[in-house]
Amino acid sequence: MEFKRRNGATFMGGASQAKRGKTTGEWEDSPSQFEEELSMFDDAEMEMDDMEGQPGHDVIPVGELFSADQNPRWRRPNAPSLDPSSDTLVFQQIDLDYYLGGSIAGMPGQSQGKVPIIRMFGVTDSGNSVCCHVHGFAPYFYVPAPNGFTSNYLGEFKRELNSVVLKDMRSNKDNISVTVLAVDICRKESMYGYHGQRSLDFLRITMAMPRLIAPAKRLLEQGFTFGPFPIQSYQAYEANIDFEIRFMVDSDVVGCCWIELPKGKYSVREEKSSANPVSQTPSKVSLCQYEVDVGWTDFISHPAEGEWQKITPLRVLSFDIECAGRKGIFPEPDKDPVIQIASMVQRQGETEPFIRTVFTLQSCASIVGSQILCFTQEKKLLQSWAEFLRTVDPDIITGYNIQNFDFPYLLNRAAALKVNLFPYLGRMRGVQSVLRESSFQSKQMGRRENKTINMEGRVQFDLLQILLRDYKLRSYTLNAVSFHFLQEQKEDVQHSIITDLQNGNEQTRRRLAVYCLKDAYLPLRLLQKLMCVINYMEMARVTGVPLTYLLSRGQQIKVVSQLLRQAMKQDLVMPVVRTEGGEDYTGATVIEPEKGYYSLPIATLDFSSLYPSIMMAHNLCYTTLLQKGSAEKLGLSPDDFIRTPTGDQFVKSSVRKGLLPEILENLLSARKRAKAELKKETDPFKKQVLDGRQLALKISANSVYGFTGAQVGKLPCLEISQSVTGFGRQMIEKTKQLVESNYTISNGYQADAKVVYGDTDSVMVKLGVTTVKEAMDIGRKAAEWVSSHFTPPIKLEFEKVYYPYLLINKKRYAGLYFSSSPDTHDKMDCKGIETVRRDNCPLVANLINTCLQMILIDRDPQGAVDHAKEVISDLLCNRIDISQLVITKELTRTAQEYTGKQAHVELAERMRKRDAGSAPNLGDRVPYVIIKATKGVAAYMKSEDPIYVLENNIPIDTQYYLEQQLSKPLLRIFEPILGETKAESVLLKGDHTRCKTVLTSKVGGLMAFAQKRSTCIGCKAVLKTDAAVCDFCKKKESELYQKEIFHLNMLEERFSRLWTQCQRCQGSLHEDVLCTSRDCPIFYMRKKVQKDLDDQSKLVSRFRW
Amino acid sequence: MFSDLSAQREGSSLLCRPASEDQGPVFERTLLDYSPSTERYRVGERSFNRQYAHIYAARLMEMRPLLSETAKHKWGSDVQIRKLCDLETGEQCCIVGTLFKRMDLQPSILKEISEEHNLLPQPARTKYITEADELILEDELQRIKLEGKIDRDKCVTGSVIAIYGAEKNDGKFTVEDFCMADLPSQVPRPALSSDKFVLLASGLGLGSSQADNMLGLQLLVDMVTGQLGETREQSGAATISRVLLAGNLLSQNTQDKDASTKAKYLTKKTQAGSVEAMRLLDELLLQLVASVPVDVMPGQYDPTNYTLPQQPLHRCMFPLSSVYPTLQLVSNPYGAIIDGVRFLGTSGQNVCDIRKYSSMDSHLEILEETLRLRHLAPTAPDTLGCYPFYQRDPFIFEECPHVYFSGNAPVFESKLVEGSDGQEVLLITIPDFSSTQTACLVNLRTLQCEPVFFSAFSADEDEESEMNISH
Repeated sequence: MEFKRRNGATFMGGASQAKRGKTTGEWEDSPSQFEEELSMFDDAEMEMDDMEGQPGHDVIPVGELFSADQNPRWRRPNAPSLDPSSDTLVFQQIDLDYYLGGSIAGMPGQSQGKVPIIRMFGVTDSGNSVCCHVHGFAPYFYVPAPNGFTSNYLGEFKRELNSVVLKDMRSNKDNISVTVLAVDICRKESMYGYHGQRSLDFLRITMAMPRLIAPAKRLLEQGFTFGPFPIQSYQAYEANIDFEIRFMVDSDVVGCCWIELPKGKYSVREEKSSANPVSQTPSKVSLCQYEVDVGWTDFISHPAEGEWQKITPLRVLSFDIECAGRKGIFPEPDKDPVIQIASMVQRQGETEPFIRTVFTLQSCASIVGSQILCFTQEKKLLQSWAEFLRTVDPDIITGYNIQNFDFPYLLNRAAALKVNLFPYLGRMRGVQSVLRESSFQSKQMGRRENKTINMEGRVQFDLLQILLRDYKLRSYTLNAVSFHFLQEQKEDVQHSIITDLQNGNEQTRRRLAVYCLKDAYLPLRLLQKLMCVINYMEMARVTGVPLTYLLSRGQQIKVVSQLLRQAMKQDLVMPVVRTEGGEDYTGATVIEPEKGYYSLPIATLDFSSLYPSIMMAHNLCYTTLLQKGSAEKLGLSPDDFIRTPTGDQFVKSSVRKGLLPEILENLLSARKRAKAELKKETDPFKKQVLDGRQLALKISANSVYGFTGAQVGKLPCLEISQSVTGFGRQMIEKTKQLVESNYTISNGYQADAKVVYGDTDSVMVKLGVTTVKEAMDIGRKAAEWVSSHFTPPIKLEFEKVYYPYLLINKKRYAGLYFSSSPDTHDKMDCKGIETVRRDNCPLVANLINTCLQMILIDRDPQGAVDHAKEVISDLLCNRIDISQLVITKELTRTAQEYTGKQAHVELAERMRKRDAGSAPNLGDRVPYVIIKATKGVAAYMKSEDPIYVLENNIPIDTQYYLEQQLSKPLLRIFEPILGETKAESVLLKGDHTRCKTVLTSKVGGLMAFAQKRSTCIGCKAVLKTDAAVCDFCKKKESELYQKEIFHLNMLEERFSRLWTQCQRCQGSLHEDVLCTSRDCPIFYMRKKVQKDLDDQSKLVSRFRW
Repeated sequence: MFSDLSAQREGSSLLCRPASEDQGPVFERTLLDYSPSTERYRVGERSFNRQYAHIYAARLMEMRPLLSETAKHKWGSDVQIRKLCDLETGEQCCIVGTLFKRMDLQPSILKEISEEHNLLPQPARTKYITEADELILEDELQRIKLEGKIDRDKCVTGSVIAIYGAEKNDGKFTVEDFCMADLPSQVPRPALSSDKFVLLASGLGLGSSQADNMLGLQLLVDMVTGQLGETREQSGAATISRVLLAGNLLSQNTQDKDASTKAKYLTKKTQAGSVEAMRLLDELLLQLVASVPVDVMPGQYDPTNYTLPQQPLHRCMFPLSSVYPTLQLVSNPYGAIIDGVRFLGTSGQNVCDIRKYSSMDSHLEILEETLRLRHLAPTAPDTLGCYPFYQRDPFIFEECPHVYFSGNAPVFESKLVEGSDGQEVLLITIPDFSSTQTACLVNLRTLQCEPVFFSAFSADEDEESEMNISH
């Protein structure tokens, strides 16, 4: 990781500092110690300084960024001229970063040398783009003032610190002479722990540049001396805050909020004119329509409420590129050309894109409704597309996997072709877009290596990244995703065909262009359907971080942002803590499940927002934590504090109200409001916005607990997190005890209630009543009654009734979910059951799902058993569609790089030997099935390409699928019903497992020497001729014929339905279907039916006329 | 040829005592000049390695010159006939292309098999049209959405038509007028000297559980074989010179759809559901073929292949009747020249399919529409199963038939259509026998057609069941 970062640093040409080193994790920033990281940062930053571009000054590209003949439709609406003395400028800010630049006359802040300048990008109501330079804000941090410090020492402290920081610098290219701008004394209190409301003197140290904070902090911690004060270590506070967040917190700006520049408070930059080269005011350095300068205290930030909830007509660009790869090799940017780029531009809030273009290499026939731009030179194509992008000036760029494929490919290709004007994709005129590698690690998602490209002022919204973050899907190909969310398939053209289409004529290229357009269109549709833009904006507003952080950073930053905002109000400062991973605490409790199939309604009582409400109820916070022994020291009476189940102590809110509870209250009351509005709202669009908001609020509330528990976090606090789970456990136990002691026959109820299972924040109660309605009534009352035993706002809610309910094990259960009405179920709820797991073949998920449906919805356990038996029989008789048996794994490395032998890697190697052209490449997903092999053959050798299996009649290893894939999940759901021993004997043994179809492979073994003889269709006797039946069966000929012709009839129907479906999907009747989407459930079926039909036709034709 | 049971005296009525042991009058079955023209619908070596694009391509290729001709005729010889790729916005022109109707309700196998959607079986509908349907015209290379003066609901996918209008800015084509290929040319019908009849029936529905159906069928057989009615009627029956059975000889009940989906260990020993019904059919046919030539077309529920053209039923299923040379097992669609009169028709799948995907309800109307489109089955292959033909589309009308029929209609209807070049076509929808007990008779001399009821129980139809075929 470290190595990567060093490497990455050398890449960072004209990158803005903001995007640097974003290796943060979801919860765990990285396994290494934060301290070490920081020093790493220092070094990296020092090196990087040499490389850092000076925006707007040095690297103005040679040549024009725009050519004259641009389509006027592409441009943004004309921007009326702006007079700062009489016009107010209002815009929605969508991206925010900072750079180092020279100070500007008339603006606040340091006047000499390089100063950090915040840059906000946004769009006005009328769709004009804005770049706003915010001056005068400098980074700072705190250290506690040493004992006996007075304001007289401030000068000395500052001088000394300045000199040690300067000395510490290895090189000083910028000729920085002043590193410490100011040192002030202020009264603050550390937020960590309760100290009896005692404010202390803190030194606020303002540095000249954000990157100087880290060395200053380090030097102060290592031991620092000045004046008469002895050498001592100073603990730093708030030294690890991103500069942008610091700015946003201090100026009350949240992500995507509206910014107002009052008249007379700002100045406008003009286009550089040759007439007046030495103007006082700097000229425009961005491509935005308005470029303004403002002091950091001179603008108004509107909270996102009421009118300011609106969203400007942002321009969303979606694009897709096609490259002509060589046979068998994944396209490489230094060799393989980019042949098409399709782009769609849509305004946020509208339903259809207003620009559809395809840039093609070589001529291309027209496409109705789309503009086609043909180029003979690839260089020109790339250059024109970059111009197109700059003209369209999108605020948001989306696409599918653009971050890791399209953009990197374009940049590398442009570099290979020396298209010098290509990489200026951001809104800053002089800043090149540069490719970097970054890695991202989190508990949730594991480690991911990503590429990042800087594009100032534009938000990159790679749909694939969003889906990976927010949705758990079986497959993440655009095709599968489109089908999942839009019920729409798209044609999937294989790499190898792309080159053929490109080398054909203008019609084949047109076909490719249509395909390319669709790939650009689908991300837009999905973005719209999933409300990504709106949901993410709501999240940015709620948590107060820039929009881009949501995709590039983890959860912590969101909590930090909120914590700082709250802390500032109370003059609390956040310490920088050394974090040590390792120490773990007991997690949530689980009441041992009483496994079984319940055909009685099971009421489920949930603690709504359990962890947040525990924190609120018991006032758990950093600021209320009592260190061991400090209760006595501070003279607190036992009524002033509580003892949590884990033995930790926190003061009550009567003594001091915690920050976290306050943040949570805000979030939850905002959520309540959103939910209330949601109920009232009738407009489906606004409904979705509100729903997105309440979801964002819920997630944010829950992430506060996670923040305190993150072992390698910004501010972990084990006392809080373990107390929270401790309370949780206690409450679950108490609930169980309360319910079971009150709802008893002796108290006049129908039956003794029994808690059959409980997990984290819910308990499942068997109330003994027989109808859902009764269960709901009692459940509701019980929830209310139990709630009264807990401190508000802890509330037990009745949420749903499961009826029937199949409890398999801890965290594994399924049931029919009744919530809105006692008469009809809302859904079938399955938890922890093999319905979505990706390492299984689809057969498992489908079978389990169907069985559960039969058990739960049809209440037909016997039917479910029969169904399972039939499927097993079908499996053994080779009647399962092969797509159901396909297992898919991604080929991430070459065979040499894998340590162990793996099925999909071995297969890829074998396929390469057979036909290099169609073999999977690195990065491809390899689908395979397990085939029969002689005993003792290693499992990884038994993988085979499903198409090859179909074509060559290779037998499937049905035993593998039965034993390795199906048996465990099946037994798991049937054991509670049939009992452990019986389940196995009923399901996995018996008649249905005895009838098998054995295929004879066309390849391998002795097949080359075998000779095929016809057998009688009736009795399988070997025949001398190729007739259908033997003499003995002749009298049954009609019967036998009817059976076979019937089969043929069915196959033909299937054939015609499958292939016409593909035609409809590809959107053309007159052209052959080329699609090779292996995710499509039809793909293997249509191949198999062709083959089966040919075979069956041959068989039927043996019945001579 | 007549069965030996018909021992009656000349002039005597049925109720008379047989006058002597002599042979009764022998009516010579009028024989016809017959030549089948089914070559077109034969598929020899069947291969399913091809896709459906070819049949559309062939169809468009063959139809384009015809439509260009019609278009010039209709909109003037100077009308611009464009291909979609040469289309210029705003220009008034004519385009020949294949229609495609995008329909939301259309059953989709993808949705049916998709794991995520298997919870909701798609509801069975009689019609799949909605307001949201989109009409699209496609030629070899491109497609364009249509709007304007064209009845979206009436149109079906696969029809080749010519449209006239202009492309508007939004990428849609505004249709001002359109035309179809219309009737092909016709070989004149020879003048016949006497009345000769062909009996058409469909949907015998053997294997269903209804008993009255069997009685009706037996009446039909007896009538045709001359065992019904008195001698006058018998002599009338003798003028029925051919019987054509247009599909669905077996009932839908014989289709054992379960058999193909049920696990093999459960169905190993079972036989096809059609076996018993086929035996019955063979016996029934035996009675007929002993007396009259019979053409047997397969239909949707009969044991042959699924896709059009359906190949003739296999001889091995008719051990009794196939001995007679009078049994003609023919394809569906089927064409023949009977005494110079050209017959063409299907067992009705083409019409039923169009009915589901368009606003048209009447089988007769749809039948006429297909004639005007000059295509037997425009919805094949899209929604109607069809063999993936290569380089030809056998369903385009080569020439205009004199009698154009479709089987298995809910009611009997017929109509004489005249073409612009003096073509004369008799359209017949042959009713489903099992539900209507109705067959129909076509007079080859006059091209008149009338229904014949064989219901044994309906009082109203008594009069007509005393069929009178000697006009």
